Amino acid sequence: MNRALRRVSLICLVLFVALLVNVNFVQGFDASSLANEPGNGRTFSATLQFQRGSIVTSDQKVVAFSKMNKNFGEYQRHYPFGKMYAPVTGYNTLYSQTGIEAAQNKQLAGTDPALEVHNLIDLISGKPKKGATVQLTINSAAQQAAYTALKAAGRESGVVAINPQTGAILALASYPSFDPNQLATLDGKKLIRNDKRLLADPAHPLINNAISTTFPPGSTFKIVTSSTAFATGKAADQNTQVPAPTKLTLPGTTTQLINDNGSACGNGRVQLIYAFTVSCNTAFGDLGLHLSGSALRTQANKYGFNDPNLTLAPGVQVAQSNFPLYTDPAQRAGGAIGQQSDTVTPLQEAMLSAAVANNGVLMKPYLVQKVTAPDLSTVQTATQSPLGTAVTPTQASHLQAMMTNVVQSPLGTAHLTAGTQVTGGIQIAGKTGTAQNGINNSGLDDAVFTGYAPTANPTIAVGVVVKGGGFGADAAAPIAVKIIEAYLASQGKG
Amino acid sequence: MSTIATPSGQPLGTDAGAGQGSQPDAAPVPRGRRRTELLMLVFVVGVVLLAYANVGLGLNGKIPAGLFEYGLAFAVLVGAAHMAVRWLAPYADPLLLPLAALLNGLGIVMIYRLQEAGRGGNGGFVITTMSTSTTALQVFYTAIGMAAFVAVLAFIRQPRTLQRYTYTLGAIGLVLVALPAVLPASISQVPGTAAKIQIALPGIGSVQPEEFAKLALAVFFAGYLVAKRDVLALAGRHVLGIDLPRARDLGPVLIAWGVSLVVLVFEGDVGTSALFFGLFVVMMYVATQRSSWLIIGFLLFISGSLIASQLFAHVRERFVIWLHPFNYVHTFSFQLVQGLYGLGFGGVLGRGLGQGQPYNTPLVQNDLIITAFGEELGLTGLMALLLIYGLLVQRGLRAAIAARDPFSKLLAGGLSFVVALQVFVIVGGVTRLIPLTGITTPFLSQGGSSLIASWMGIALLMRISDTARRPAPQPIQDEGMTQVVRAG
Repeated sequence: MNRALRRVSLICLVLFVALLVNVNFVQGFDASSLANEPGNGRTFSATLQFQRGSIVTSDQKVVAFSKMNKNFGEYQRHYPFGKMYAPVTGYNTLYSQTGIEAAQNKQLAGTDPALEVHNLIDLISGKPKKGATVQLTINSAAQQAAYTALKAAGRESGVVAINPQTGAILALASYPSFDPNQLATLDGKKLIRNDKRLLADPAHPLINNAISTTFPPGSTFKIVTSSTAFATGKAADQNTQVPAPTKLTLPGTTTQLINDNGSACGNGRVQLIYAFTVSCNTAFGDLGLHLSGSALRTQANKYGFNDPNLTLAPGVQVAQSNFPLYTDPAQRAGGAIGQQSDTVTPLQEAMLSAAVANNGVLMKPYLVQKVTAPDLSTVQTATQSPLGTAVTPTQASHLQAMMTNVVQSPLGTAHLTAGTQVTGGIQIAGKTGTAQNGINNSGLDDAVFTGYAPTANPTIAVGVVVKGGGFGADAAAPIAVKIIEAYLASQGKG
Repeated sequence: MSTIATPSGQPLGTDAGAGQGSQPDAAPVPRGRRRTELLMLVFVVGVVLLAYANVGLGLNGKIPAGLFEYGLAFAVLVGAAHMAVRWLAPYADPLLLPLAALLNGLGIVMIYRLQEAGRGGNGGFVITTMSTSTTALQVFYTAIGMAAFVAVLAFIRQPRTLQRYTYTLGAIGLVLVALPAVLPASISQVPGTAAKIQIALPGIGSVQPEEFAKLALAVFFAGYLVAKRDVLALAGRHVLGIDLPRARDLGPVLIAWGVSLVVLVFEGDVGTSALFFGLFVVMMYVATQRSSWLIIGFLLFISGSLIASQLFAHVRERFVIWLHPFNYVHTFSFQLVQGLYGLGFGGVLGRGLGQGQPYNTPLVQNDLIITAFGEELGLTGLMALLLIYGLLVQRGLRAAIAARDPFSKLLAGGLSFVVALQVFVIVGGVTRLIPLTGITTPFLSQGGSSLIASWMGIALLMRISDTARRPAPQPIQDEGMTQVVRAG
C-alpha cells in the first residue's frame, strides 16, 4: 500500500502546486486587470480615499470638487451648481461615469501616466495624493444664462455655444437636467434609490439633449442648402434670383409645399437673400429639386453631418446628425428645408453658425482647456484644429450677409426677437427654424435657432433647439440672445 | 531492534526513535515529541493573538476589547487539547495539533474581523448574515470541536476498534448523506441557496450531516476495502496499458458514484459530491494499488459532471460563470467576482487585517473565507495558509505510511486526501481554477459542523499516528539481534 500512498502524496502535491500557481496568477499577474474591471467596488472606493481633482470653468468657477466626508471616511464629490453643469461634468459612480468625470477620469483620479512623477514627488515629500484639476472651456456666465433660459422655457431642450474661431465650447446646457450630487452620495442604498428614480423619470433628465438628442433642423438647414447652391454654381451669390412660387407641387406627388401660413414669397422670383431672410420654403424646396442629393449630402457632411465619431473629449460622444442621400426629388425638396429625415443636435446647430462665422472653417469643438497637476504645472492643454472647411471665405461672406439680414432686416424672421431686443448694441446674425412634427404635422413645432455674434468679429456661435417650443424666432432665438449677451458682457465687449 | 520498519523496509525517520540500532541492548527511549508540540502551540497562540490584535488596530486603531477573553479561551482550549494528547496519544505526530489549531485560530480571527465590519464605527458595512455573537459562537464551536477531538482519542484507543463498526458506520454515513434529501426543504435548505444539505432545528441552529458522513464513510470505505481488496485487485482485461478490473467488481465504485450523484442531484451540492467520490476512488486505489481505478474514477467523474451540467441548471450555471465570470456580474457570478476582486485588491502583500473590504463578498465568512484571507493577508498570506494545509495533509499521509495495519493505512490515507481535495475544490473554486462549488474551508469557515468534524478527523489521524509511532512491545524472546519486520 505504501507505493499507492506515496502516489497519493504526489497527487496531493500536484493539487497544492496547482493552487499555489493559480493564486500567484490571480493575485500577482491578474490583479491589475481585476482592479480595472468595471464595477469593481474595491477599486472605486480606493479612489475615494484621496481627493479627486476639481473641475473648473475657464473663468475658474469650481463646478465639481471632492471633500472629506467624516461619516464615511471617504472623499465625497460635490457639484455646487447642480443641474446647471450636469451635462458637462457628468457624474462619477461605481458602475458608470459620464461627461468630463469619465473623459478625464485618469487625470482627475491622478492615475494618468503624465501625473506619475508628481505623485512620486508627493509620496516622497509626504503630501497626500491628489488628482489633477481639469479646466473646461465653459464660460460660467454663458452657461448660467443658457441653463436659466432653458429652464424658463420649461421644455425638453438643449443649447451649445462655441467660440467659432477656436472650437472651444462656451456653454452646453440641457433641460430637463439632473442633480449629480444625488449620484455622488457615499451611501450605497441612497445611491441606488436616486439612480432608479432618475432612470424611471419620464422626462429623461439623464439624457444630455445638447449632444445626445437629435431634432429636426427645420429652416436652419437652409444654410446648408444655400451653401450647396453656392458650391455647385446654382447661385453665384446672395443676390442671385431664384424661383419662389406660392405653392410648389412636389414631383410625383400631389403634395404642395407652401410657405408659412401659405403666404406668397415676393413676386414668385426673388433674390436668394430675400428667400433666406423671410424663410421661403418654396424657394429652397425648388433649390432642393434642382440640386443633386449627393451634392447636398457632401455639403452637409462638411458642416459635420453624418459623422458618427465626433467627441468633445475622450468618450464624450456626440450623437450623429443625419442628412441622408435623398434620391427621390420630392423627399429631397423636404430635406432641403430641414424636414424629412434630417436630424441635428443643438451642437450641430451651433457648428453651422460657427463655420459661417469663422469664414467657412469649421473648428473641432472641444470641452477641456487644460489639465493642471496639484503643483499647478500644466500636464495637458487643448490643441485647436479645424474639422474641415465647410465653405470658401467668399461663400461664407454671402452666408454671413444672409444670416445678418435674418436678424437685422426688419423683414427678417428673427428681427423682433434677436435684432431689436438686444442690449449693448450687439449685432447678431442667425437663422430660425420651425420644424414640423407628428403625423400631418399634428405635433407641436420644434423651435430652432442658430446664430453668432458680434457680426463684425464673431466670438460666439450658438445653437438652440426647444422641443415643442413653436416658432424658432419666438422660443429659441431669445435663448441664444441671452447667452450671447451674457458671454459678451463677461468678455467686456457687451 | 526498536526501529519501526515500514513494510517496504524503510526506516521512518529521525523522530520515531531512530538511531537505536547501534545499541541493540539499550532500552529504547521512544520520543513522543510532546514538548515540540507544546512549543509549536505556544507559537500558534502567539500568532493568533497577534492577528487578533492586528484586526482591531487595522479596523479602528485600538486593541480589540475581547483580546484577553478570546485569547485566554483559545489558549485554554489549545492547552487542554495538548494535555489530552499527552495522556491519550503521547506518540502522535507533533505537528497535526498545532497546524489544525493555527488554522482554527486564524479562522476565528477572520470571523471576528468580518463580524466587526461596519459595526462600532468601523469601515465598510455590516454583514447581515453575521451577528455580534458570531465570533463567540465560533469559539464555542471550537470548544466542542476540541472536546470531540479528545473524545475520539479517549474512546478509540486502537484504530482497529473502528474496523469492527465498518458496516454500522457505513449505514450511519448513508443515512446522514440521505437525510437532508428526504427532509422537506424548509428544514434542509440553506437559506439563500439551492443546497439541501442541512438539518435546521428552529431556535437552536443547524447541522450539516454530510460533514460527519464524510468521516463515517471514510471508516466504512477503509473497512470494506480492506476486506475486499484482494478481489478488487484481480485484473480483468488489459487495455491500452492499464489493467481494467473485472466488470463484476465495478459494483462498489458504481455505488459510490451513485451516492455522490444523489448528493449532487437531490441536495444540489456539487462540491460534497465530488468530495465523496474522490475519497472513495483514492481509497480504492490505495487498497488495490491499481491505477486503473484512478483513471476510471476520473473519467466517471468528468462524464458525470458534464451530464449533470446538461441536465441541471444549477450545475450548468457553475460552468458558465467559471468560463465567463464577468458576463454575469450582477446575477450568478456576483459572489465569485467579488471574491476575485478581493483577491486582486489584496495583491501580493495584502491590505492588512481589518483594512480590506471583504464585506463586499456575499457569505464571505463561509465558503469564500479564503478570499478574505487573500484580500487582507495577500498572496503571501494565502500561500502560507495553503502550505499549512499542505503540511497537514503531508503529516496525515506520513501517518498512513507509518501505520502498520492496512485498515489504518487506508483510513489515514483517505482522511488526509479528503482534506487536500476539499481545500483544492474550494480554493480552486474561488480562485477560478475550477468551477466554484460551495463547500467549507476546513477549520477556517464559520460554522460548527465542519469544524467539529474536522477536529474529529484530526483526532483519528493522531490516533493512527500514535499507534504507528508507539514503540513496538518488547518481544518475548529478545535476543537483541532480530529485527522485527511487520507486514503491512
